[in-house]
Amino acid sequence: MANILRIGWLFPNTLNLHGDRGNILAIKAEGLRRGYSVEVHQITLDTLDFDPMNYDFLFCAPGEIVHFKEIVRFLTPHKNALSTFIETRPLLVTGTSIAIFGKLMHRCEDYSFSGLGLLNVDCVENKTVYGDDLYFTCCYNDKEMEIIGCQIQMMNLEILEETPFGLLKYGYGNTGKTTQEGVIKGQGIFTNTLGPVLICNPWLTEEIVNLIEHNKGMHPDAIKRDNTLEENSFKTKLNLIKTKETALTNTALSEQ
Amino acid sequence: MKFYFALWYAKILGLAINLVSKDRGTNLPGEKALKIDPDFVKNFKNIDYSKVLFVTGTNGKSTTTNLIDHILKENGKKIITNIQGANLLGGIASILAKEASMTGKLNADYYIFETDERYLPLIYAQLPAKNMIITNLQKDQVQRNGDPDFIYRKLAGFIHPGMRLFLNNEEPRSKSLEHITEDCIYYGVDKHDESFVKGSDYPTLACPKCHHDIQFNYFNTDNVGPFHCVNCDYASEKSSDYQITDINFNEKTFKRKEVPFDMPYDLPFMFYNYAGALAVCQEVCDIAPVAAAKSFANFKNIGGRFEILKYKGKTIKYMRIKQENPDTLQSALNIMASDPEEKMVALGLYVVEDFVPHYANTFYAFDCDFQPLVNAKVERYLCFSEHVSYDTANRLLYEGVSKDDITIMDSDDILQIFAEIDKATTDNIYLITWLATFDKMKKFIEGGQN
Repeated sequence: MANILRIGWLFPNTLNLHGDRGNILAIKAEGLRRGYSVEVHQITLDTLDFDPMNYDFLFCAPGEIVHFKEIVRFLTPHKNALSTFIETRPLLVTGTSIAIFGKLMHRCEDYSFSGLGLLNVDCVENKTVYGDDLYFTCCYNDKEMEIIGCQIQMMNLEILEETPFGLLKYGYGNTGKTTQEGVIKGQGIFTNTLGPVLICNPWLTEEIVNLIEHNKGMHPDAIKRDNTLEENSFKTKLNLIKTKETALTNTALSEQ
Repeated sequence: MKFYFALWYAKILGLAINLVSKDRGTNLPGEKALKIDPDFVKNFKNIDYSKVLFVTGTNGKSTTTNLIDHILKENGKKIITNIQGANLLGGIASILAKEASMTGKLNADYYIFETDERYLPLIYAQLPAKNMIITNLQKDQVQRNGDPDFIYRKLAGFIHPGMRLFLNNEEPRSKSLEHITEDCIYYGVDKHDESFVKGSDYPTLACPKCHHDIQFNYFNTDNVGPFHCVNCDYASEKSSDYQITDINFNEKTFKRKEVPFDMPYDLPFMFYNYAGALAVCQEVCDIAPVAAAKSFANFKNIGGRFEILKYKGKTIKYMRIKQENPDTLQSALNIMASDPEEKMVALGLYVVEDFVPHYANTFYAFDCDFQPLVNAKVERYLCFSEHVSYDTANRLLYEGVSKDDITIMDSDDILQIFAEIDKATTDNIYLITWLATFDKMKKFIEGGQN
């Protein structure tokens, strides 16, 4: 099975907001480019035989908070397996769905519910939405990199004693008050970056697939991907970020 | 007394604005009046709330309002409406002030208001309409609205059992508001030649009742079609109260219960607007489909999303999409894909500039299925627009388009866009961009560059 790359796509219909299927396309394309046969399995609330350890990579897209309790109920029997999974294998969770894996979710209507508790984080739903670009540095699989994407923030993320995934250079990040972006736990990435983050930032995709190959005992791909288009995209979006008007005060890009 | 001051001030301001532009929809007189009297709208006299209709939803509000307005006027009804598009409380206050007597008395058969779904609770608090048609609740303007549930909760917060709802039978999210009132009238559309399916890797949505997966049998327009939940009994009705049938694209006709209609626009997403308007006209205004049918032949949609330009012997077909809205982009893609002729596609998705901060969001393109377009004889793609052209091109690359077939232009310079159009061997050009760039191109052509 070493030449098969198995992707588990968690609740694609229940959690579907921002073109997030692009991340599946990115991992799949990189796996195919490296000569793997790629299988994408959709895990739904009706899946009976879910075992995280059957997968090389798991992806959980952002969704409407109203559905989270049902998802937490589904995942609770798999909490230990997921905890084991992220010790060595890559998991990508984006946007609001971080709350599913956190400790507590506080909703605007003054009630709370428990998340899976895989992360020691609390999430607090905001009464207003904040949407913006997001630009940060991070390290994954021992590789330093910069990420650019978008953020539609429906909640603040108090990460307590967890480790942030990134250090903001521009953007709202976890709370709009610090330079913390997301959480990293083991090989699990929990980020506010929405949409096709792995398409826009293929250097992260490459590291995820490098890690998958390492886990399989394979040598990472020697032929580098041509990222010219994405690098050009990165430059022009960075130019937008550097020149646009903003009310954010947690990041002062012009001073960096 | 403050109501009268507010009313007279709004009337004077409205007259002044009218001197500048007769067709201009505006919130300003109403906003000023609401500052003087916060309950301004509530204080108008002689409104029968059973004759008031709100038209709301993500897509299709304006077209539905325009069509209802047209049918009612053609049938001799006196109506007050905001078809010029000022759909916030201030806009409705403005139109009521304009139409009222100096003492705030109104005199109309019906009141038809397009209403912004986000601000509807504020409007309803002052104008408790008995009737509301919801076109659909989809992903839209995420920087303002976050997710569709954000809007759903706003609507569910004020809808009550005394209201009558007109619901799209084939849109799962808005249809589920049926649990609040028993007075629901459903409208829908039969399968037609441009109904389509998407691959299983295109997600649908969660069941609003049990959170499991919604499956569609097919789509009549993006994310709208007969559906069912895989877990509970939630599903579209087998047939709706107002069902559009026998859709014929060649003859541009359709039927509703054997009554034939001319189809003013053969655009699939508008079929639901037709069905909804017929439901409202019959149930609220007592205009039977036979009488309504006569109005369809001469219906002209105000502010429609399609325009055609002639340029150096080429036809440029402009399709305006809504930012951050995959459904309008998918509709545009489907229209291009249904054209069997060779074509050039100029795709200018753009930075979202609704308010500060602007941001480079094109991720909604990954919700859309480009494959039918890719298979539809596209000679060349032009991906233009500052800051997002590379991402747009990347969306095409992930659909299998060759790099060699794409020109990337990190700019909105219309001279460069026209230069690329000049290079095309086909005369059939499709253009998607924002209105500002299109207007510049239109003026350029009208200025004799033809």
